[in-house]
Amino acid sequence: MTDKTPTAKTPGQRYRWSARGFIAPGVFLVAVLLYLPLLWTTFLSFTDYNGLGDPEWIGIENYVEMFDDPQFIGSVLNTLLWVGGTLLVPVGIGLGVALLTWNLKGGVWLRLPFLIPYALSGIGVAVIWSFILGSNGALDQALAAFGIADTPRWLVDSPLNTVVMILATSWQAVGVNALLFTIGLQSIPKEPLEAAKLDGATGFRLFRSILWPMLRPLTVVVIGLSIVASLKTFDIVQGMTKGGPGRSSETLALTMYRETFVNSEYGLGSAIAVFLTIVTLAAAILYLRQQLSSKNEG
Amino acid sequence: MRSRRITLGVAAAVAASLVLAACGSGGGDDDGAKTGTLDFYTNKAAWEPDFDELNATSKTGVNIDLNTTGYSDAAQYDAFIRQSFRTDKSPGLFTWQTGPSLGELVDEGLIAETTDIWTKAVNEGWISEDLRNTYTFGGKQYCVPMNIAYWVMYYNKNIFAEQKIEVPATWDDLNAAADKLKGAGITPYYQTSTLFTFPWFQQMVAGTDPALYKGLATGEVKYTDPRIVSVMETWRDQQEKGWFSDAGSTVDPAVGLKQGDYAMINFGSFFNGSLDGAGMVSGEDYGMFVIPATNPGLAKTPVAVESGPLCVAENSSQKTLGMAYSEWWMSPDAQTAWSKARGDVAFNPKATVNDPMLKELGTTIAGGAYETYDRYYETTPTPILTVALEQFGAFIANPGDPLPFLEAIQAEADKYWADQE
Repeated sequence: MTDKTPTAKTPGQRYRWSARGFIAPGVFLVAVLLYLPLLWTTFLSFTDYNGLGDPEWIGIENYVEMFDDPQFIGSVLNTLLWVGGTLLVPVGIGLGVALLTWNLKGGVWLRLPFLIPYALSGIGVAVIWSFILGSNGALDQALAAFGIADTPRWLVDSPLNTVVMILATSWQAVGVNALLFTIGLQSIPKEPLEAAKLDGATGFRLFRSILWPMLRPLTVVVIGLSIVASLKTFDIVQGMTKGGPGRSSETLALTMYRETFVNSEYGLGSAIAVFLTIVTLAAAILYLRQQLSSKNEG
Repeated sequence: MRSRRITLGVAAAVAASLVLAACGSGGGDDDGAKTGTLDFYTNKAAWEPDFDELNATSKTGVNIDLNTTGYSDAAQYDAFIRQSFRTDKSPGLFTWQTGPSLGELVDEGLIAETTDIWTKAVNEGWISEDLRNTYTFGGKQYCVPMNIAYWVMYYNKNIFAEQKIEVPATWDDLNAAADKLKGAGITPYYQTSTLFTFPWFQQMVAGTDPALYKGLATGEVKYTDPRIVSVMETWRDQQEKGWFSDAGSTVDPAVGLKQGDYAMINFGSFFNGSLDGAGMVSGEDYGMFVIPATNPGLAKTPVAVESGPLCVAENSSQKTLGMAYSEWWMSPDAQTAWSKARGDVAFNPKATVNDPMLKELGTTIAGGAYETYDRYYETTPTPILTVALEQFGAFIANPGDPLPFLEAIQAEADKYWADQE
């Protein structure tokens, strides 16, 4: 029995109040910097607004206009190409590099060069690759030295321009994927590996039956990150083709930028931003939920 | 229970921040100062040293110096200026675009009127009545011209001399020159598929009929008009003859002209600065000429003119200071110093222009044989311009039947003009 008066607070209550005090600045910042812009953008997507004066409520007109525009579908297709391409190339090659080097002595020296481009910003990668892939750029001149004169117009012809930009992004992203997969491989317990080897599993069989299933927790994260990153692809395309020629290499993020900041159609741009947010969140949630709910089956 | 508390907490924080945001909007009061340091914003970051150079002259002239903030990204700058009108930090002086973009700001009552400054400048003979029209909205003037530039043809003098080509006096001469150059294995013209995709279209439409060109800007002429289609077909034929440079090249245009990647480049008269920077000498290594009209029947040769405004925000705390600087800006002293700093023509005929070639260009165009028209980039409403630049870019990358490109532009134009009614 303790001798407390009815008005005094218990230590538990005091703890809760001080906890709230500590949380409050964080909640305030999250509300101001994340929730408020989200609400404001959603509100703007239902208005006609040129950045001057006051937004005018027009209901779902921006959304109708957005889906009515054939170019919007083109942007969606390009974005899907980015999602597929970045899953296939940087994630695939990253896995390959990790598998080939994780068991080697000095494998870190083989992985390191792949990691160096990761230190660059996306726009820096764009500058370097524009120089390489521009008409009569470094690549064309190198090919000409070997007598190959009739080269494709890398950044001009569609969908080749999107494909080469995915490759440029891969140059940067392979290293970090390889690093993540290596961490995954190194965290696999030795015992099942040795047991499998005793049973005669090597090469592809070892990979398919042992390594791949045991890598799964990491694969889920790498693929999830890759999907989200590719859905919001902006910097490299803006830096290399600005979405052109015409709008042939435009992604959703570029369409959003174009409507908002080039055309000053803040309402339409916001509608695209809302659409992109919903798609990205839906993709991430659906993918993670599906993967995590079935994690015990694999 | 807990999630409801979190929701309430977030809602309270959002509400509090909304209140804060509401307190922040609204303009400042004009502080009335006529001398001092004026905050100046521009999207021409590369020109910042030129504006700084001018401070020596403006300090003695009106005792004002500029504190320049330069943006190098046009879209970012545009968003910054638009948002600044909602705060008490709207600029005392800033650059913008003439045409519908400026009209939009004027309609919202965001720009200080400059009618008195213009009346004085026109009376003093400092500026032409023609240019005044570009800055007139509803019978009143807004902003003052930061600069003017004429869009002409620059050419590599050495190549012209080697190929024994004279400066073309007619459209046929120009075509003959292009043919001759191509025959000698030299690409006649520069082109690009990003941003500056419009000059050749502008040149050929205005050179065919200035009224046709003006009709496009006002929506009276459709992009699918047979006369426009015919211009595009001529352009395509020239493309097929190989008259234009590789559109995807990343070589700096000035360097390209210097090293002979092409013999000619259609650019604004501010291009002298870039060519001088690339190590070419004005009048020796390169020259310029006014492009002859496509239609020889025109009484006067049309010349595209580009003019960017210097504006004062109506609700700026530095409005008086900005207006005092604008007034001084029109004077021959200011324009002589500006022409020297920028290496470009001056809008004020009483200003001294140092570069003899630019001086001659100014006097030539001021003569009776030419008429100026506003550049396509400024005269076309923004949403139509965005689509047009993209479509011309796509056409340059893959020249073919012009109709699908023109139909795409017209679709945007139809939407724009329907919204204006």
